[in-house]
Amino acid sequence: MQTVKMVISGAVNAGKTEFIRTISEIEVVSTERRATDDTRLIKKETTVAMDFGRIAISDDLVLHLFGTPGQKRFDFMWEILAEGMLGLVILVDSTRPETFRETNRIIDFFVSYRDTPYVIAANKQDRPNAWSPDELRLALRQPPHIKVLPCTATDRESVKNVLLELLYVIQERSED
Amino acid sequence: MALVGNIRDFSLSDFLSLVDRGYKTGALHLTYHDQTARLYFEKGKLLLAARRPEDEKPELLVRLGVLNADQLAQACRALAARGNGVTLSQVVIDAGMASPERLQSALMGHTEQSVYGLFAWPEGDFVFEHNQRPAPDAPLALTPISIDHLIMEGVRRIDEWERIRDRIPSTDLVPRFLAPPGEKLKGMRLSPDEWKVFARINGRDTLAEIAQKTGLSDFDVCRAVYGFLTAGMLELVKRQRVLAAGMPPVEQPRLKKSLVNRIINRIRSM
Ligand SMILES: Nc1nc2c(ncn2[C@@H]2O[C@H](COP(=O)(O)OP(=O)(O)OP(=O)(O)O)[C@@H](O)[C@H]2O)c(=O)[nH]1
Ligand SMILES: [Mg+2]
Repeated sequence: MQTVKMVISGAVNAGKTEFIRTISEIEVVSTERRATDDTRLIKKETTVAMDFGRIAISDDLVLHLFGTPGQKRFDFMWEILAEGMLGLVILVDSTRPETFRETNRIIDFFVSYRDTPYVIAANKQDRPNAWSPDELRLALRQPPHIKVLPCTATDRESVKNVLLELLYVIQERSED
Repeated sequence: MALVGNIRDFSLSDFLSLVDRGYKTGALHLTYHDQTARLYFEKGKLLLAARRPEDEKPELLVRLGVLNADQLAQACRALAARGNGVTLSQVVIDAGMASPERLQSALMGHTEQSVYGLFAWPEGDFVFEHNQRPAPDAPLALTPISIDHLIMEGVRRIDEWERIRDRIPSTDLVPRFLAPPGEKLKGMRLSPDEWKVFARINGRDTLAEIAQKTGLSDFDVCRAVYGFLTAGMLELVKRQRVLAAGMPPVEQPRLKKSLVNRIINRIRSM
């Protein structure tokens, strides 16, 4: 059985756990804990180690989805999760510009050493005051060839679309 | 949809840069305690900055000494008569009440001073309303004002490392121009120290080396480079990558196209 891996990252509360829950075939394995420190002000439960979801592709191939913890103090997990990944989805809470800098730090971490295919998902587009993908591209200073996609992590079609767009990037780089 | 945020988290310089790069048209409303400000943009350039509601009124031209009260009354009548997209400033010029240079420099000076004051705000809520335009009789700059140098001016007022570290995490990074610098530079009105830094950027030296060669502090070098970054002129790269230019980047696992296609088909069918 061959396994391939994709990583879903982003700042605290971006919607990583939700994104994986929406598409995974198994109940997502999350290590949620009652949030402590500043995170508590935004939400009750936060991911402390990772989220794990799975999609079986065929009898001999399975896609693993890993969500990173959002809080800074779990950075050490990122390196481990990033090892050998096929591609990366960076989720952004489009309603919270205060997380854009942190998002850039995360992109830097994953992308500066490796040439990882990635897309950015402008999440929570269903909410009022969401910054549009175009505006997020400007705010995050992403070059034109990086896809910035609209996303609503609670909506399955939307999550599918983000994964497919990432797969198209990976496809371009794959060999015949 | 309006863009909403706080300049504590997404600084005014960053916002101006976004307006510039996105050729945005609209109005930026800022509030900090009992202070307010309103900036109008057209295609990424600044038309007017008002720190008080009076600054959006025709009387500003009298306060700035461009017109006297009689001339203003006459200009307002002419504006009402012409209507249809003509600006007050255009009417003033057409009537020969002031030279274009005199009018532009008075309005530009006022607008710039208004924006400089905003950089002192430690925080403030902002709302950017797309396509909101100033009133027809507002005293708009004759030629919309380029905001490159306002961005730079905002960056000059940064006095703490923390802000700069967001984008410049280490002085071992190498600044490199994205394209031959040109147009933008003209508008930025660099200080002598900033020119020194600018002149030392060669795509090979690290920030620390530039500091050493220019005799400037790490902070001053990084702040200038932060300004160039905000204006979208530079990127920062790691030393190794520069040395390894021409070599392939770290190997990613290369997948077979057929395998990727299988995953694509599976997700499509979900
Ligand atoms: N309206 C809306 N809410 C969303 C969306 N995606 C996530 N949320 C909500 O946003 C909150 C945070 O989502 P999570 O999935 O827990 O975020 P996370 O990135 O896993 O957060 P951490 O693990 O703490 O870093 C939850 O209340 C979600 O229900 C979306 O697309 N639209
Ligand atoms: Mg989570």
